[in-house]
Amino acid sequence: MTDYARRHIRFGWWSLLVFATAGLVLETLHGFKVRAYLDVSNETRRLMWTLAHAHGTLLALVHVIFGVTVRGAGEWTGRTLRPISSALMGASVLLPGGFFLGGIVFYSGDPGLGILLVPFGAVLLIAALFLIARATGDTKTPPAR
Amino acid sequence: MMLLSRHVRKRQFAVGIGGLAATAVAAGLGVTMSQNAVPPESRVAGRPVQIQGAGFVSSQTCRPCHPSEYASWHGSYHRTMTQVATPDSVATSFDNVRVDEVPGEPMRLQVRGPELWAEFNDPDGAGSPRIQRRVVMTTGSHTQQIYWYATGRSRMLGQLPAIWLVEERRWVPRGAAVMRPSGPPHSETGAWNGICVACHTTDGRPQIDTPFGSRPVTTQSASTTSAEFGIACEACHGPGAEHVGANSLPQRYRLHLTGQADPTIVRPDRLDPKRSSQVCGQCHSFWEFPDAPSERRANVQGLPYRPGDELAATRFIVQPTTNLESDTMKMLLADDPRFVRDTFWSDGMVRATGREYNGLIDSPCFTKATDDNRTLSCFSCHAMHRARDDVRSVESWADDQLASGAQGNGACLQCHARQDVSAHTHHRVGSAGSSCYNCHMPYTTYGLLKTIRSHQISSPSVRVTIETGRPNACNLCHLDKTLAWAAETMNRWYATPVPALTGDDSVVAAALLTLLKGDAGQRAIVAQSLGWRPAQEASGTAWMAPFLALLLDDPYDAVRFIAGRSLDTLPGFDSFRFDFVAPPQRRAAQRVRALEIWRDTRTRAGRAAPALLFNPDGTFNAAVIDRLRRERDNRRVTYRE
Repeated sequence: MTDYARRHIRFGWWSLLVFATAGLVLETLHGFKVRAYLDVSNETRRLMWTLAHAHGTLLALVHVIFGVTVRGAGEWTGRTLRPISSALMGASVLLPGGFFLGGIVFYSGDPGLGILLVPFGAVLLIAALFLIARATGDTKTPPAR
Repeated sequence: MMLLSRHVRKRQFAVGIGGLAATAVAAGLGVTMSQNAVPPESRVAGRPVQIQGAGFVSSQTCRPCHPSEYASWHGSYHRTMTQVATPDSVATSFDNVRVDEVPGEPMRLQVRGPELWAEFNDPDGAGSPRIQRRVVMTTGSHTQQIYWYATGRSRMLGQLPAIWLVEERRWVPRGAAVMRPSGPPHSETGAWNGICVACHTTDGRPQIDTPFGSRPVTTQSASTTSAEFGIACEACHGPGAEHVGANSLPQRYRLHLTGQADPTIVRPDRLDPKRSSQVCGQCHSFWEFPDAPSERRANVQGLPYRPGDELAATRFIVQPTTNLESDTMKMLLADDPRFVRDTFWSDGMVRATGREYNGLIDSPCFTKATDDNRTLSCFSCHAMHRARDDVRSVESWADDQLASGAQGNGACLQCHARQDVSAHTHHRVGSAGSSCYNCHMPYTTYGLLKTIRSHQISSPSVRVTIETGRPNACNLCHLDKTLAWAAETMNRWYATPVPALTGDDSVVAAALLTLLKGDAGQRAIVAQSLGWRPAQEASGTAWMAPFLALLLDDPYDAVRFIAGRSLDTLPGFDSFRFDFVAPPQRRAAQRVRALEIWRDTRTRAGRAAPALLFNPDGTFNAAVIDRLRRERDNRRVTYRE
C-alpha cells in the first residue's frame, strides 16, 4: 500500500517539477518572441505544446492527490491499485508526450503523428479515474474524531 | 445506521453529479445565446447579405485547419475590400463629424450605438432633398474607403458623396477621386449591387430584377447576396464544401504524409502558369460578359468561373491586341466608342490599374514562354500568403503582396540570370537604374490617385513613346532629358534604331512635353514621377516646382491632387499644403504661394537649362510653354479604375 502511495506522490512532485519547468521554457519562448513558437504559422505547435504543459502539470497533481488518497484509504488492495497505478502512469506519459510530439512536426492546422498517442493516454486516464471513483465507493470512511 | 449513511452518501453523490450536469448545460446555453446576440445574416434587411450556398463554406470553416493561411489572408486588403460598416471597420471617425468636401450642403456623420448614420443630399431625389440613411457597407481600406448606405429599397445600396483617403487622412468628393472630367455629381446608386459585387465579394450574386442600367435604378430592386464579403479563400481556391467533407476524417493524413495534391480543392500555385494567372485575372482584368444571357445567368447564379477553369470560356477578356475585331468588341464599341481608348494605350497596352492580367498576357515572358517553369505568372512575383520565412511584417507584405524574393531583381533573375547586371543596365549595381522593375515595368498605369507599375513587361522605347504617347522608362526617371537624348543613349547601349524626332523632341525635356501637351492620364504620370525619389535624384529638383505649380490649375481633380502631393516632396515645401478641391480662387492663391516658395528657395541648379524651358537669364521660356500648353490634348479621359 505504502509503496503505491509513495510511488505516486514522488512521481507527481517530480512530474510537477518537469512540467512547471516546461512552462517556464514556454514563457521564455514568449519573452524572447521566438518565431518558431509564436508565429501564426506555428499556431499548431503553440497549441500542442501548451496542451502538453497543461496536461502534464494537471496529471502531476492528480498523481499527488491519488497518492494522498491511497495513503488515507486503508482498504485498497494491491489488486485494486495495480491497474489504476499503471493506467495513471501511462496517461502521464502518453498525454503530454503525444501533444509535445504532435507539435514538433505538424501540417498547418493538423498536429504531427505523435498526436496518435493522445487518445490512448486519454483512454488510460478515463479508465484510471473510473477505477479510482469506483474504489472510493468501497472505502470505509475513517471514523470522525 | 451504516446502511442509511451509505444511502445518504449515494444521494448526495447523485445530487452532486446532477449539479455538475446542470452547470454544463447552463454554460452551453449561455454560449449559444451569446452567439445569437448578432442576428443571422438571413434576417438582415436593407443591405446585401452573406449566405453560403453552391458548395461555398466561408473562411471561418477554413480557419481551424489552415490557421497560418487564414492569418495572412486576414491581414490582407483582399479581406477588407468589402466590409459591413461598423465603428471598428471604418477607416475614420463617424462620431459627430461634418464633411464639407461634398457638393452642396455639408454631409454629417453620426454614430448611433453600433450603427453609423449619414445626413446628406439625396443623389437620386428630384432637387436633391436632405436625407438621413444608415451607412451599412464599406469598400476598400488600403488607399481609399468608400461608404455605402441602405437606400431603403430592397438591398440596393447608394454611395455617400464623399470618400476617405486613408494615407492623406482626409475626405474628398467622390468624383474628385477618379480620373474623370469635372462635372455635376452623378448617382452611383446600385453600382455595388450591379458591379462591385462581382469582384469585391466571393460568389457575389446581384439578383437585380432587371439588368443594371437598363432602367432607372430607383425602379429596380435587388436581393443581392454573396458567400462572403471581401475576396475570401474560396474566391481563389474554389468552393470548399467537398474539400471539407473529404478531409473531416483523419484520412487527410495520407495527403500530409505523401504530399499528394488534394483533388477536392484548387491550389492556384499548383496550376500551370496560365491557369494560375487566370485565378487572379478573374478580377484583375478588363472583362465583360460575352453576351446578355450570360449576364442574366450570373445575375442569379453568380459568375460561372471557378479557379482552374479556362477563364476565356465564360468571360470576354477585353484585349485590343488580340480581339479588337471580334463581334463582342464591336458590340461593346458600338455601345461606347471610348470603351477601349479610355483604358488602353493606342498600342493595346492597358493603362488603368486593377487590370494587371491584361498586361501580363501580352508580356513576352508570358506569350513567348514554352516551358512552364520559365513562364511568367502572377505567382512569379506575388505571394497570396506570407511565407513562413518572410521577415517582413504582415502589414509590409500586404502592401503589394510581393513574394519575399521578388522585392528586388530576384523576380526577373529567376529566368534572366546575369553575372554582371550593370553590364546590361549601364547603371551602378544597386542603383534605381539597375532595377529590372524600373526599366521594364515603369509607372505608366494609373488608378486610385496614383500611378503603379505597368504589368506588361516591356523595354524602354522612344519609338513607342512617339507612337503612343506613353512615357518611356528612361525619361520617367531622367525627367530633365529629351527624347533625343534617350534615343541616342539606347542606340549607343543597345543599338536601338533612333526614330524620327520632331524639333521639340530634341530640345525640350520629354517629361515637360508630356506634362504640357499630354492628356490627363499622361499628365498624371509625369506629375507622379516628379515626386518619385529616384527621378528626383537623377534629375535634380530645383526646376520642378513651377511645372508642378502649373498642374495645380489642371482641369482634372486627379491631376491636381497628384501635382500637389509631388510638390510636397520638394525641398522647401514641407509646410506647403494644397487643397485640390478648394474653390478656384483659393487654389490660384495656393499656386501663387507655391511659386513664391520656389523663388525664395531657388538655387542656381537648372537655372539656364533650355531643355527645361528656362532662358539663359533664368527666366521662363514663356513663349514655348504657352505654345505647348495650347497644344494640350484636351480629350475627355475617363479611366475605368
